[in-house]
Amino acid sequence: MASAVADTGYDTAAIARRWLTDYRAATPATDMLYAAGLDDPAWNAALEELAERAGEDLTSARERAQRHAEDIGTGFRIPGEGEERPWPLSPIPLLIEKAEWQGIVDGVAQRADLLEAILADSYGPQNLVRGGSLPATLLTGSPYFLRPMMGLEPPGGCHLHFVAFDLCRGPSGEWRVLADHLRAPAGAGYALENRLAIARMLGGLQGRLNIERHAPFFAAFREGIAARCKRADPRIGLLTPGRLNPSYAEQAHLARYLGFLLVEGGDLAVLDDRVYLRTIAGLKRIDALWRRVDPRMIDPLAFDSHSAIGVPGLIDAMAQGEVVIANSPGAGMLEAPAFAAFLPRVCARLTGESLKLANIATWWCGQPRECVEVAGDLDNMVIAPAFGVATNALSDAKLGSAMSPETRAALIADLDRRPQDYVGQEVVRLSTMPVVSNGRLEARPFTLRVFAARGADGSWHVMPGGFAQIGDKPDARAAVMGEGNWSADVVIHGGDPVAPVTLLQRSDSTQLRRNPGTLPSRVADNLFWLGRYLERGEARLGVIRALLGHSISADSGAALAADTVGRLVGLVVQAGAAAQPDNLGRAQLTRFAEAAMDATDGWYSVRTINRQARAIGAVSRDRLSADMIRLLDAPYPTRGSALDRAGSLQRRYSALAGLSSEHMARTDAWRFHDLGRRVERAVATVSALLALGDPQATSDDLSALLDLADSQISYRQRYLTGIARVPVIDLIALDPGNPRGIAFQVAAIAAHLEALPRLSDDGIAEPQQALARELAAMVATAQAASFGRDQLFAIDHKLAALSEAVARRYFLHGSEPLRAAGLVVG
Amino acid sequence: MRYAIRHLTRFDYAEPVGFARCNLRLKPIHWSGQELHDYSLTILPGGDTAPARAEAGLANVVRLVVTEAVRSLTIESSCTITVDRPVPMPRSDDPTLAQVAAEARASRDAGPASPASYLFPSPLIPLDRDIAAWCAQELDPGRGALEAAIALACRIQNEFAFDPTATLVDTPPREAFLKRGGVCQDFAQIMISGLRAAGLPAAYASGYLRTLPPPGQPRLVGADATHAWVLLWCGHARGWVGVDPTNGIWMASDHVIIAIGRDYTDIAPIDGIVLGSGAQDMTVSVDVEPLDQPA
Repeated sequence: MASAVADTGYDTAAIARRWLTDYRAATPATDMLYAAGLDDPAWNAALEELAERAGEDLTSARERAQRHAEDIGTGFRIPGEGEERPWPLSPIPLLIEKAEWQGIVDGVAQRADLLEAILADSYGPQNLVRGGSLPATLLTGSPYFLRPMMGLEPPGGCHLHFVAFDLCRGPSGEWRVLADHLRAPAGAGYALENRLAIARMLGGLQGRLNIERHAPFFAAFREGIAARCKRADPRIGLLTPGRLNPSYAEQAHLARYLGFLLVEGGDLAVLDDRVYLRTIAGLKRIDALWRRVDPRMIDPLAFDSHSAIGVPGLIDAMAQGEVVIANSPGAGMLEAPAFAAFLPRVCARLTGESLKLANIATWWCGQPRECVEVAGDLDNMVIAPAFGVATNALSDAKLGSAMSPETRAALIADLDRRPQDYVGQEVVRLSTMPVVSNGRLEARPFTLRVFAARGADGSWHVMPGGFAQIGDKPDARAAVMGEGNWSADVVIHGGDPVAPVTLLQRSDSTQLRRNPGTLPSRVADNLFWLGRYLERGEARLGVIRALLGHSISADSGAALAADTVGRLVGLVVQAGAAAQPDNLGRAQLTRFAEAAMDATDGWYSVRTINRQARAIGAVSRDRLSADMIRLLDAPYPTRGSALDRAGSLQRRYSALAGLSSEHMARTDAWRFHDLGRRVERAVATVSALLALGDPQATSDDLSALLDLADSQISYRQRYLTGIARVPVIDLIALDPGNPRGIAFQVAAIAAHLEALPRLSDDGIAEPQQALARELAAMVATAQAASFGRDQLFAIDHKLAALSEAVARRYFLHGSEPLRAAGLVVG
Repeated sequence: MRYAIRHLTRFDYAEPVGFARCNLRLKPIHWSGQELHDYSLTILPGGDTAPARAEAGLANVVRLVVTEAVRSLTIESSCTITVDRPVPMPRSDDPTLAQVAAEARASRDAGPASPASYLFPSPLIPLDRDIAAWCAQELDPGRGALEAAIALACRIQNEFAFDPTATLVDTPPREAFLKRGGVCQDFAQIMISGLRAAGLPAAYASGYLRTLPPPGQPRLVGADATHAWVLLWCGHARGWVGVDPTNGIWMASDHVIIAIGRDYTDIAPIDGIVLGSGAQDMTVSVDVEPLDQPA
């Protein structure tokens, strides 16, 4: 990209220079970019790359970054919202020079080791408490101190496997720790996706700055967890609370990237202290879980017996050393802000060293002297709940000087009664970095989230980078992405040229395999139903389009006889998509078709089906390509005429069908998806035949039938004589060569079920296989001339039985755990 | 006083259930003033029992696993126990509430019998400003700890109505407080919430209460149920002291402790999971029979 001028016509160096100069004129000296200096080659390179893409127009650069993030599929959810939001990615990365970064790396590794040592002591001998280094109330005050974990020796010998810290940079350039994330450290996936988006956008930066890559970090994490497992080739799951969790998209992305199975509590079972995954091939051992589930919810037998997302017996399995859980439940107690007040002393006591990365100054009010100090200096401090949970007087951290008189009075009163619930913290002045705002570069305060993972040798590997959270307040301590915040990629530069590494292993150490491994039952279930819903939507749209085409051009070739229109309407009504219209006049019919498309109030409309498919798409992110997810996530069309919208949806469904048939690898996952499509298409075709294929069928009926079965052209190629019932029945029901016909679907169903795993090797067909064979035989031996309602009902019945048999054999079983709780009355 | 106690819990299921896994916290713990002589646990139709690995509160936990499909499950816990606990008497040299709070905060023990474990809100007992303000009427920091404890218990007994229809097993303390009614669990939770809000270490005790028959009538067998009350830690010198806000009395020889925890979730007598669908029905009967009646 050295000859940038020649490429685009922009004088990128001059533009970057101007941006820099303007920025520096309006920015404090504590800013990252300001501190680096006007001539810093790294920042100049980054801004030149930006100018290369956007010319003078910074706003368009920002939009472009946003689009890249959306393309990658990064989304996040504000708690309480159903829909994901696009990830707010700033086009300007935070640049940190390698020497400065090394200080952070050393501090992070030291801190992670220290926290591990405190956990080992706290859930073990508790010498720190007995010896007075840690007050007992510091442990018992945290809702994440989990007493049932006492004495449990974590498998592999460590509680912590993956940690994150929020750092801030102070006025003189020193980095300090704002917060620890040990329970379910979120954000690594976002860091990965930010990097991907920025790499796409500022492609030349990699080579110019020798940017450290993320892949070796994730490889180290995966190898680290694997090394703690008993079995050599372990199966590792990412335990997610499910789709409504704010960072579900991140979890799905990470699972896919790391090669972990994305599992929910319901997918797992514990038998004889071992953890198993319910798969289509039976129960399979799980060796390790990276959990993103609240630790208190993880096992209803060990912690909260009300938990519906937990795995009963999981902690027993962990205690027996049969499953690694990263991080150990209970590790989260060290997230309590009050610990920061004791870390320097504990660090000195345990290691003889001082903290390489200091905390922000913290005073725990549970000690008499500190409490007096804080109470006397409220205006110059941030007051925060000591254990991260709302107290009687404070819901979260507040600047003392910004408190209302009522809050202040309540705080002072509660400090008297429950001083242990509060900490005072110094007011932090955050360093700034540039973002694009108002069409120019403006300085905004930021915090930096860094990640560390324990590698196979037990030592800590720090992700080179992380992500910056950019706020609009000078003391932005909000740790979650919310409105008005930006995130930025963090780039470590200035080392030696970096060899490209990806998560791919060296080929000589990898055993070749063509099947991605066992398919969890839940995933099979979802993909099966995704296939059914998409096919169902397509079939429904077919009928609606036939009706709309008729109603629009009642005088043209699209017009149908009234009886045929009535039968089409009957198909829609029977499916519960809309209420029977009063008459079949044009206006009525249009309204009817629109209702069958769009109705939301309890009708089984196209929109409802679309929503069902979309919901499954949302929980199958780790199994579908980004293109499929984007099509599934696309909003339901609301503009244009009903016919236009039906057409656009139909195209969307066709594209999805094309993607699944051409882009999905022929794995068991694909088989379930296709199985769902085949079953649904057969069911829809049976319904159409029942409605329009009677012996009394008119030529309009048969023509509509050929339309619904998408077989007009096939018919005309075979028969030149015009439309007749028996050949139409043969083509749509019995001809195995017609890919829209029943015979073809039935053969495909049988083939899928033969290819899927069996539970035993006794050669005896499983029930769903037997049903498929019976179905295939029924269709194969039927004669078009005598094929009528009886045969159609029999096929319909068999299809329903087959769908149920598939569910019974492969999917999770419906029995829900009941809670048996004792009762106290007095 | 020596008691023979029989605690019967029966679950009936509309549909057969399989693979029941439960925590049973039914065997009374060792605690000052009570001595267990013999204990038996009987499960019908049967199942595997083993001591559970670790525990949230002070309890004897047994893990029960029933693998066969059953329509009903009966758990019978029986024991003979002697309870000999003097009635605590407030003294002028009792530590004040402020001293108790400060001592508890400075504790160097994070174990399940330590006051440090009972200073904070727990899953079923959040802190509540209204409950705190109401209880604070009896909790002047300069007041003696025992005097304050019994005064608050009596106040709850006086001003709250015993009303089994007012609340359910999972009614939050605030709701019972606003209704000014409930059962033993509600009263214990309200009192604990108020004590903790004042910075005092308060625990939830579950157990049995010997109910005295009305004069001239025989004791009703099986009419009793498990009971719940409050333990307040009153400083190193006096330790844990029990008060029963349902009856406005001290915990003495009529109270048999089964388990002690931060709240009911720590020490539910039976909780766990069964696999099945359909309704479940539970019946409990408790029989506390005094063995050596005074002449």
